[in-house]
Amino acid sequence: MRILMPILFLLLAPLAGGLLDGMDRKISARMQRRVGPPILQPFYDVQKLFAKQRIVVTNSQTFLMITYMVLIIFTGCMFYSGVDMLMCFFMLSTAGIFLYFSAVVTDSPYSYIGGQRELFQEMCCEPAVLLTALGFYILEGSFQTSDLIKADRSAILALPGFFVAFLFILTIKMRKSPFDESTSHHPHQELVKGVTTELGGSNLALFQITEWYENVLMLSVVALFILNKNPWSILCAVLVVLATYFLEILIDNTSARMKSQKMLQLSWAVTIAAAGVNLVILILVR
Amino acid sequence: MDVKAKKRSVVPFGPQHPVLPEPIHLDLVLEDEKVVDVIPSIGFIHRGLEELVNRRDFNQYVYIAERTCGICSFGHGLGYVEAVEKLMNVEVPVRAKYLRTIWGEMGRIHSHLLWAGLMADAFGFENLFYQCWRLREKNLDLVEMTTGGRLIYSVNKVGGVLKDITPDMQKVILNNLSEIEVELKDIYKTFTTDYSVLERTRGVGVLTKEQVHDLGACGPYARASGVERDIRQLGYEAYGDLDFEPVVSTDGDNFARCDVRLREVFQSIDLIRQAIAKMPAETDLSVPVKGNPDGEALVRIEQPRGEAVYYVEGNGTKFLNRFRLRTPTFANIPAMCETMKGCNYADIPLLVVTIDPCISCTER
Amino acid sequence: MGAKFTPKQTLRVIEKEGLLREVMVMKSRHMRLSQACASYKDGHYELSYSFADDETMDYETLRVNVGLAERVPSIHNFYSCASYYENEMRELFGVKIELIEPDYRNKFYRIKAETPFLPEDAKAEQKKEEAEISLNGADSDLDQEQAARDEKQAEKDAAAKKAADEKKAAAAAEKAAKKGAQ
Repeated sequence: MRILMPILFLLLAPLAGGLLDGMDRKISARMQRRVGPPILQPFYDVQKLFAKQRIVVTNSQTFLMITYMVLIIFTGCMFYSGVDMLMCFFMLSTAGIFLYFSAVVTDSPYSYIGGQRELFQEMCCEPAVLLTALGFYILEGSFQTSDLIKADRSAILALPGFFVAFLFILTIKMRKSPFDESTSHHPHQELVKGVTTELGGSNLALFQITEWYENVLMLSVVALFILNKNPWSILCAVLVVLATYFLEILIDNTSARMKSQKMLQLSWAVTIAAAGVNLVILILVR
Repeated sequence: MDVKAKKRSVVPFGPQHPVLPEPIHLDLVLEDEKVVDVIPSIGFIHRGLEELVNRRDFNQYVYIAERTCGICSFGHGLGYVEAVEKLMNVEVPVRAKYLRTIWGEMGRIHSHLLWAGLMADAFGFENLFYQCWRLREKNLDLVEMTTGGRLIYSVNKVGGVLKDITPDMQKVILNNLSEIEVELKDIYKTFTTDYSVLERTRGVGVLTKEQVHDLGACGPYARASGVERDIRQLGYEAYGDLDFEPVVSTDGDNFARCDVRLREVFQSIDLIRQAIAKMPAETDLSVPVKGNPDGEALVRIEQPRGEAVYYVEGNGTKFLNRFRLRTPTFANIPAMCETMKGCNYADIPLLVVTIDPCISCTER
Repeated sequence: MGAKFTPKQTLRVIEKEGLLREVMVMKSRHMRLSQACASYKDGHYELSYSFADDETMDYETLRVNVGLAERVPSIHNFYSCASYYENEMRELFGVKIELIEPDYRNKFYRIKAETPFLPEDAKAEQKKEEAEISLNGADSDLDQEQAARDEKQAEKDAAAKKAADEKKAAAAAEKAAKKGAQ
């Protein structure tokens, strides 16, 4: 199990991530009364990006991009092999730093400001992410994901506040409107494409694949809230994950883009209100 | 703290930037994400259309005047023919005046809905953007049915209009307008009540009435700051017979500009209804024009974007000596730059879009 | 119902010397600068400055007739938005407007042709008249100020060009060194 699961993640996560991305584009298009691209379009895009001539602004960018990718994949593998969840989250933040570096090594002001905003986003997400780990620990007495999935009942029953806080920052993590500050799926924002403005060809393809890995990883954390020792909970978790993704698409399509200051205010407020209150109750009840 | 000690960076914004509908270049001086100074420059698409007036017959030039801009094309044609008619003392048939009014208002609906879409796109609300442009399509259908063109109407000529709006067409127009009105109410609600939209528009880019006056801004942009000025009140064409008040808001921020423009669409729908009801049944749509223009005339009309000034100078030949067109965007750029100082970098696209920039007609 | 306003539209021809004073009067009467434009007619420029009264919708135009080589002061001190119109006049017609701020230095529109709206014969005439003026050495304070500004800008341009050249040379040298190393 400890070896099989990471390998499965390594192979299947980009597939799942790409398919989800394709569905995202299709559903968004339907919401806007467009036809939309085929479900497999993200794969075609990545394939085409790899086929393009390699032009980089600075050579170090490729190295930084690959490091970012390897770190994210490694984090995912760790998560699926059932090790310390806290460790996974810290690795994830470290990976984010490499994305920041890959953005600021270029001279482009868009990329530079995008990089700064990427750090800002990390700051917005971090409290909720760490509190989630803490919530699991208080509930189950362990940071190990392998222990958490063997729980007697779903964690969401005891941690609804944490779940809400995590869903909120998921929008930031998935770089979706209203919180697509550092980069956006549509280049129609003031930073063009933010951190990815200066990425092209295979580097952009790497970024895209990494994003799929990251999305699958974040959705796996959502699944962790549902999973228990009952095998049927797996089906339930998949459904909840799909519902979560749909919710993200819905929010993306029904809101304007927020400013970064507002993002900080809102994300911390929600984290403190939802996860904080839940935490206090959890401690008092025990 | 010493100002110079702060780290400043210059971000080039435009002329080609995905959020910009038109090529304008701004050099933004940033302190972190705060804009401290802005240096605008235009001039990427100057075509020298004004000078063509020396080489084209004054009747032919109507079509060039219309092609100054794709969105307010009818207005430019109208302003030019009005100026020439004033120069030559031509009195246009009343029905032609009403027809011009109807088309002018259709142009306004088109322009404002297009703008609403661009605005939604600028604050990243894709669904709203699609909704606005889908609605605009209905209006374009009306234009196509009545004039044969979608953007360039080409129905004006010196002395009248070339096409008529038949009773059958009038029915379709009224029907379509009702549909537009219903859907527009939803859009208006989203623009004025949605939390995330208000977050981006309320209190952003405030201009006072005094500033608007000093910087010479005009149109909905000025009306959003409480300036009760609508050139249509001069009563040119059939506007004198129609009942309307300028749409004014007092906040002077992005929200007020959205509000004013969208309410103007409702007003335009109302004006078209009034005009159709009051339009006299005449058969003559134009009067013959004899002779060549001499002397000079200056005409102001209210374009969708604001006050436009048309100045013509004839010299007794069939070629005019000078045609001058001052577009509303030209007058609004100084005010736009003023709103940008001290704002957040993320507000820049919105502040550019709220003047409804039309750089290609600004540079002509 | 009829029109809601019955505005007056007036045109007044004034002397060049009185321009600044008249504009000042307009400003104190709380008029809005609506437009300013130039046109060329019979060997001279006609400059029109139009002011609008937003209360009564009156429209007043000041007309100044100036010779091809004559200097005209900028009115941007009274109406800051005037500089756009003045830059345009100078670039398209070659009207000699002095001390515009901000000064786009004939790059308001990015076009190659100089004074494209001025007929060819007028351009030649303008050159001739200019030469005469510089021969006579008519130097007002305004001219000196403008000349000082021009010189400063020229120095700045030269410095910028030099910096750009140096950068280019450095980049080339670096490239060559890299090549050599390989």
